[in-house]
This record gives sequence, structure tokens and C-alpha cells, in this order.
Amino acid sequence: MQLHRRQLLKALGLSALCTLAGRGPAALAAPGAIETTPRRIVFFVTPHGLVPNSWTMPIPDARAEAFAERSLLGLPPADFSEVLRPLHPFRDRFVAIEGLSHATVLADIREVMRSGGDLNNHSIGVAGLLTATRALQKTGIPCTGGARSLDQELAARTGGGGRFASRVYGFDHVPNSTVAPFSFLGPGQASPVVADPAAAFADLMGFRIPSANASRPTTREASIAALRPSVLDSVSREYELLAPRLDSAGKRKLEDHRDLIRQLESSLGAGLSAKCDQNIDRSGDKTTQFMRLIKLAFSCDLTRVATFVAPVPQCPEFGYPADAAVHTYAHQSIKGATSCGETFNPTAARAMTDLGVWYAGHFATLLRELDSVVEGSGTLLDHSVVVWLTELATPTHLHTDHFALVAGSGDFFKTGRYVRYPRDTSNPISGMAAMGPGHNRLFVSLMRAMGQPDTSFGQREVRGADGSTISLTGPLSELHRS
Amino acid sequence: MRRKFEVLGRESAATLLLLAMRRMGSLALAVAVAGGCALSADVPTDLPNVVGPAPLRRLSNTEYLHALHDLFPSQVHALPLLPNDSSNSGFDNETEAQQPSDVRIARYEAIANLYAEDATRTTEAIQKLAHCTEWQTPTSAEACRAKFIESVGGFVFRRPLTSDERDRLTLRFQAWTTAVDFEAAVRLTLSAMLQSPQFLYRAEPLPDLPSLPSAPLAVEPYAMASRLSFFLWQSIPDNFLLEAASKNELGSTDQVRAQATRMLNDDRARRVFWNFHRQWLGLDRVLGEEHSVRTPQVDPMWTSKSQYAASEESRYFVENTMMSTGTLRELLMSRRAWVNDEMARTYDLAPTGDASAWREVLLPDANRAGILTRAAFLAGFSHRGATSPPIRGSAIQLHWLCKLPSAPPPGVDLSMPKALPEDGAQTNRTLFERRTAPGPCQGCHIGLNGFGFGFENYTAAGAFQTQEQGLPIDARGTVVGTDVDRPFDGAVDLSAALEGSEAVRSCVTRQWMTYALGRAPATEERALEDALKTRLTSSGGNLRELLVDIVTSPTFRLQPIKEK
Repeated sequence: MQLHRRQLLKALGLSALCTLAGRGPAALAAPGAIETTPRRIVFFVTPHGLVPNSWTMPIPDARAEAFAERSLLGLPPADFSEVLRPLHPFRDRFVAIEGLSHATVLADIREVMRSGGDLNNHSIGVAGLLTATRALQKTGIPCTGGARSLDQELAARTGGGGRFASRVYGFDHVPNSTVAPFSFLGPGQASPVVADPAAAFADLMGFRIPSANASRPTTREASIAALRPSVLDSVSREYELLAPRLDSAGKRKLEDHRDLIRQLESSLGAGLSAKCDQNIDRSGDKTTQFMRLIKLAFSCDLTRVATFVAPVPQCPEFGYPADAAVHTYAHQSIKGATSCGETFNPTAARAMTDLGVWYAGHFATLLRELDSVVEGSGTLLDHSVVVWLTELATPTHLHTDHFALVAGSGDFFKTGRYVRYPRDTSNPISGMAAMGPGHNRLFVSLMRAMGQPDTSFGQREVRGADGSTISLTGPLSELHRS
Repeated sequence: MRRKFEVLGRESAATLLLLAMRRMGSLALAVAVAGGCALSADVPTDLPNVVGPAPLRRLSNTEYLHALHDLFPSQVHALPLLPNDSSNSGFDNETEAQQPSDVRIARYEAIANLYAEDATRTTEAIQKLAHCTEWQTPTSAEACRAKFIESVGGFVFRRPLTSDERDRLTLRFQAWTTAVDFEAAVRLTLSAMLQSPQFLYRAEPLPDLPSLPSAPLAVEPYAMASRLSFFLWQSIPDNFLLEAASKNELGSTDQVRAQATRMLNDDRARRVFWNFHRQWLGLDRVLGEEHSVRTPQVDPMWTSKSQYAASEESRYFVENTMMSTGTLRELLMSRRAWVNDEMARTYDLAPTGDASAWREVLLPDANRAGILTRAAFLAGFSHRGATSPPIRGSAIQLHWLCKLPSAPPPGVDLSMPKALPEDGAQTNRTLFERRTAPGPCQGCHIGLNGFGFGFENYTAAGAFQTQEQGLPIDARGTVVGTDVDRPFDGAVDLSAALEGSEAVRSCVTRQWMTYALGRAPATEERALEDALKTRLTSSGGNLRELLVDIVTSPTFRLQPIKEK
């Protein structure tokens, strides 16, 4: 049977594609369309915590009991702390923040001490860092995220403009091990993490097929590739037909699956912005490659929300013996602290500092990559919020006094500064040092920078060990430009 | 030796199914799906007639990859990594955690395209796949197309296609033939099949009945074939199962029992034995980063090879034990082991000099027994530099007694206890006894230490030791909080105590049910759990029999009554 062209298009399911492509994201429109400069956000999360005196900087003449700040603009590299030194070239583009605490995580730890569950500081940190709420405890296995994390919340609200609501990248050097996700689609639902740069690149670029409007495919392979949307169309029809025959939970699952296939289908063949440079430098280690991939994804407007979970590198990667282990160094890195039976060892402190410098080098690469793309009157970095957070506060597995840094979006954040919040609030865990503002108040600031008017994210308050109520609402307005 | 299980690409097998499906025909399928007498199941009378929820199940990553392997045994690809299956229950097939994501959908497409391309690379390959020799004329092409859709579709969907499915695939096939050519249409249709819900999910739609049935209905025969094969083989049903389904021979208890027995004797059952035990007992925990290193005091020769050898040794042990008698006694007490030179070193046996060879040995009876005296457990539940009796003890309580650990009270020192210089040498046991001596600690530690101290004869690398720092090791412990509470001496004695425990049989039953159902047993299934446990006791702790009992139980064979 010979099909007529219209019949053929219908049978191929490609008529639907034309409609869908027409509804595609604005930024995927044909070259020449008016370019907007959407706001993006990157969460750069590093495992463990940083050795405090490797990253903090003194603020001359400031009192510890009040908010204090100093300008970074006139300082030579030597006056920067070791970890911040690699970021010296970008000193006008970031604000480093001292004194924040993972208040919700600390409160969770206290609750779990009472009620039972997984108390491992790593799991509870992984679960609570980006969710800022209590971890989901399940029998006999590590606890996991108890709610949607900030990156996924922003993705759900603002990420729709790009091809992907968000991208979560990260990897570990141990084969077959699960990367701590940090990012959660919902309670107990870890976001899918793409661990391989080649796969990440294929996700971003590999979906493209010759545009439907382009001249006829010249090879048989190209003709087959051009039918990918048709295959996806036929597949999504199967989900559509089966879903109504199931109970409500099954139906919802299949409909979600179908929507995701439709999303993939609608992205096929869509044009990319003329500014989108698909050539990617594949040199350097995997972390470096992921930094470039984030630039690629942003500059081509394929996503607006990215999360990168940095690896725990092999020791030789940052200059230490192959038989050494980061975890052992971590426990031994702080003078006066006893952590899991390990006591202070100066080599370990040095190693954890060098590891912090290693992470900072990669963070600097990310800033450099984003700054290399001119966009509107500035660069991609100016239109991105780039946040560096750590899993724990200290390498000795505490959650008080963690490192935080926000770069980019100088129109919103008052950058070029080092700021310090006073530790004037009772710690939820008795016997532990007083703490500064909860890190989810920083999240409120990040949401504001992303145009979201929320007054809180995650838990709105926790209780200090002294019985006081600690509010976790409102942004850290000292960070804002106005 | 592993047999190869070819489904597609071996003519005789495929033809068999084709014949079975032809015999069955779409009419018979319609009957089976629409309900009626075909759906009655002869449910065993001596197991409680309860049916728990049956949520829609997606193939776990493990099942999906096994299914692809069994469909295309000659294809080997470096596949893009699928996102991990979340496992809030501790098992990777937990239905509740199976939400789709954009990455997963993209991977499914990429992988389907890879397999479809490879399966249609040459004319000969297409001939084999589609069961026809040529498609040059309109008539031969139509016949070949129909054959391909029906036979390959039948394998991928694990049942004969409905006429609607056949029509939809035929229409697409025609369009793709027109757009490119016949060969491309085979490839694209195969790719579509591999991305379809009929392949990736295990939908068991309720039949369209005028009103809700008064009693739970049997799962339709092909869905029952899939329930059996995805549990016992972690993969698609084979021809024999599909043929049994086509003849409606999966309805009676005897029939299901016969199939399950056959399946458990097939090498594919090794998959479920390993996957279950690996997750239940944390046998791959030793592969974690923490265990890539041991301090020189513990084992100067420990490397990442040791990690893998320890895990692999436990795999051999579990698979071979379960493939033979499969009793709880063997699992806890057998001294049979399969070792390479790396493991021989740990177990103090002579090396063969061939580092890659694995051989069967009998471990010395004084210090080794079953799985609890093997390196995967002993090292996996230790620290790098020392054993931790509470961690090992907690693993016993959690895995074998289904007893949740509780957190230590606030403010206690959780660091590893260390000897003070003035005390001189101390055994690890003495340090932990001192640390956990205070009254508030004892509530939990009487149990944790009670079990954990029994393992002190094994280092954090799993080697046997009788002295520590020149001091003799005391590995006496106490079984606490069970039906078999008693003092014991060493892990072999503890294993024997656990083997006789009702509480252990209860816990093992619960774990297997969770894995079989893709969810924790529901409250209403309590009576069934108890009955299965009783049978496990009367079978002498035969775990293979337990699996047969699970798959013949009402909850495995019936569908709950539910509103759409």
C-alpha cells in the first residue's frame, strides 16, 4: 500500500511534532528571534566541609557579635585565604559568607537522637543540605531527602524555559557507588544524576536531528534519525492508551512517563540559538568537563538550573599519596577535635586544605567558563547565580559554621565582599557552640535573585537547645544590593 | 558454567512461541483478559487467603538489563548508565520509588536504539529476527512484517499482541517503510517496542467487568508468567512459561509449583539469589569507598582487589548454596567456599599461583562457617582501622531479626574508644565494654555487644585472629531478645544459634516477601507471613521451598479488588 503524503505524516505522527515544536521554548527559536537573558542558577556542592582557617578571612576592627564585612577589591592574592585565593581574579564577582549553619540539619540530628534512625552525619547532610527539612528515615538504610530540594523547586518554577527543567551532574571515583544526590524531586525521590560527561553532552546535544524544515536527509542513516520523533510519538501513544486502564497511582506514573517522552520528542529538531557553541573542549579532568557542560547548557538555554556534586578525588589528584584516604584526613584535620576516634594530624589538615584549594580551582573554572560567554550587556556569569555549598560544615563532620559563597548576579547580590554573621543563636544540640543564621535563609535570598518572592524555604523554625525558637524565615538581606 | 539463554535469534525457540501464540490466537487472549472461568485460580487452602496491594511495577534496572540480555543474548554494548533505582526499602525493586525522570526516558530511548540497530545490522540478522527469508514483493513484505510484529512483539511484550496493538504497529511499520525502507522499519518498530510500557512496565489491567468482582481475581496467565519470571529470574519469561500461559496452565497450585521448581533449578535463578542476598545482607557494602583501604596494622596487603574478591566470594557462596540445598542451615553453617588467591590469603589457605582462578575449598571448621564468617560481612561491617562490635551486632539485629537500630542518646561519645597510655595494651572488646558500661547505654548495647563481641576473632579485613596486642581474644557473647537467647562462644556458635531461631525465620520470610512483592508486606498480609514462616520451619528451613510457597500464595497470584 502506498501512503499519500498527508496520510504518511499522520501515520508517522509527525504532524503532532510540528505543533509541538511550534510551542517549544522561546530560546530554542530560530536564529534572529529576540534573545532574552534568563536568570540561571548553579549549585556547586562539595563533599565534607572545609577546614575553617583555610577559608575564613579576618575582618579588621570588627566585633564578633555583629554582622561585619570587608571589601575584597583592593586585596592582593596573598591577603586572600588559601581556599579563596584561586578566586582572586573574580573578587569583584562574589561574596563569601562566614557564620551560617545547617540549622535544620542540626535540629534533625537532635530529633533523630531522640526518636532513632540514621544518624550518619554524611547521610543526614546529603538529605538535608538542599531540602532544609527533616530527612526521610527508612528502616535500615541511609536516610534520604524528605522533600523537594531547592534546585528542583526552582527548576519546577523557572526551568521550563529550557529543554530540561534541570541537570544534576556528579560522580564518584569508586565504581558502582551511588553519588550522594543532594538533589531530590520529592520525598525519597533522588534526582537522576548524570555521572559521565560524554553522556551529559549527548543529553544536551545528541537529541538534535536535522530540522524538519531542512532539506531532505541525504543519507539513509539521516533518514532513520529523522524518524526518532515519529518513534517517540508512537511510544507515547502506547502510554496514553494504557494509562486509563490502571488504578490512579499507576495511571499517574504512566502519564508522567508519557509527558517526559513528549518533552523529549518536542525537543528533537528544534533549532538552537545562533550563540550556542556546540564545540566543547574535552580536555581536563571530569569536573572541569562538567563545568564546561554547564556553560554549554546555559549558553544554549537547554536548562536554567544545574547542580554539580563534586567528587571526593583520589589523593594523587590533589598531590597526596595513592594509598592515603580523604576520609581519614578529614577526621584528623582539626586541632583539638576528636572525630570518630581520630585525633589531629598536621598532614591531614594540610591535605584537607589542599583539597579545598582543588575544589576552588574548579569553581574558578566554572566562573571563567560562564564569564566567557557574552550575553546582552554582560556575560553569562552576570545572569547566573553560582552558589558553592559544602555537605558538612567541617571535615570533622560537624554542621555548625559552614562555608558558603555566592558568585554572579552582581545586579542582585552586593559582590566583592567577605561577610561574617555573628554566632548568636543557641545550637539545637545541647553542648554545641552557638551558631549563626540557618543556611535556608540564604536559600530565600537565592530565590529572590531568581525572581521568587518566597519568605522561607524548608523548615520555618527550629528549636535551640536552650528552648528558644529560631526563626528561619526571611532572606539574608545584608547580601543584597538594595 | 553459565548457559546461554537465547530467545530472539534462535529459530526453534521463537517458532515454538509463535506456534503457541497462533494456537492461542487473539480470541483466546481476549477471553483471558476479559475474565470468566479462565481467571479462576485454585488457591492453596492451607495458606491464608489474603491479597495485598498490587501497584504498577516498572522493571528495575537489574531486571531491564537482564531482559535485554535474554532477548538479545549475542549483543554486548557499553550502555549509557541508567539513573539509580532509589531503594527506600533496601531493595532496588521498590515500586513506590519508581518515578520516571527525563534522564531515564532519554536512556531508554538511547538503549532501545542501540539494540534495534544492532539487531537489524545485516540482511541475515533481519531474516533471523523476523523469521522470513525475503521481503522484495508486496506480498512477501506483508507476510514478513506480520510475522515480525507478532513474534518479536510477543517476546518483548511477554504475551501475544492484542489486535489493536498489532494494527498500530503495522500502521507505523508501513509509514516507516514508505519513509525509508523495510529494513529501517524493522529497526524503528523494534526500538518503539523496547520503549513501550508493555515492555518497561508490568501492567496488569483489570478486566472490564460490569461491576466490581466479589472476590479477588486471578492475575491473567501471561501476567502470572511475568510475575514468576521477574521474581525468580529477574527477567522475561522463557518459552515454556509463555506456552504454559497460552494454555492457561498457570492457574493451579500444582502448575505454579512445578514451574517455580523448574525455574529454581535453572541457572537464571542465580540472579535472584545474588541480588536478594546482596541487598538483604549488605554483601556489597564492602565495595564502598570506606573499604578500599585497611590500615597497615589491620592488613598491609589489602587493596581494592580485596574488596572485590570479598564481595565475589560471597556471591559464589550464596549462589551455589541456594542452587543446591538452599537451606538456612547451609547459609549460616556451610564451610564450602569458592576462593581465589586473594581470598585464600584472607582465609589462611595456600595460594595456587593463578590469581584469577576461583576454586572450591572447605574452610577450617574451628573458625569458619556460613555467610557470617565470610569477609564480605566481616570487613563490610568494620572500620578501616578496627572492628566495631556494635556495627556488626547491629547488622545481625537488623538483617536477621528485622530489629531496627535505635540512635544513641544525645551527647554520648561516638568515637572509636582508644586505650589510654597509662592503661597499657587493651583489647578492642575491653575498650568497648568500658565505653558502653554506663546504664543508659546498656539498654541497647546489651544486645549490640552481645552479638557483636562474638565476631572479635575476625579482623576488620576478615582474617581470623586469636590474639590482639598480645592479649587473648574473648569472643564470647550472648544472644539477646530472641526465642533462642543463650550465651555463645564465637561466630560459628552464634550462627548455629541463629539457625534454630523462630525470630530469624520470621525475619527472613518478611525480607523475601518484600523482594517478591516490590513492597513491604501489608498489615492484612500478616497472617500469610506467619503461615509462610511456619512452613519454613516445617521444611527444615528450606529457603527454596519458601520461594515456592511465596509464589503459590494468594497474594502472589491474585489481584486485589480495587476501584480504578
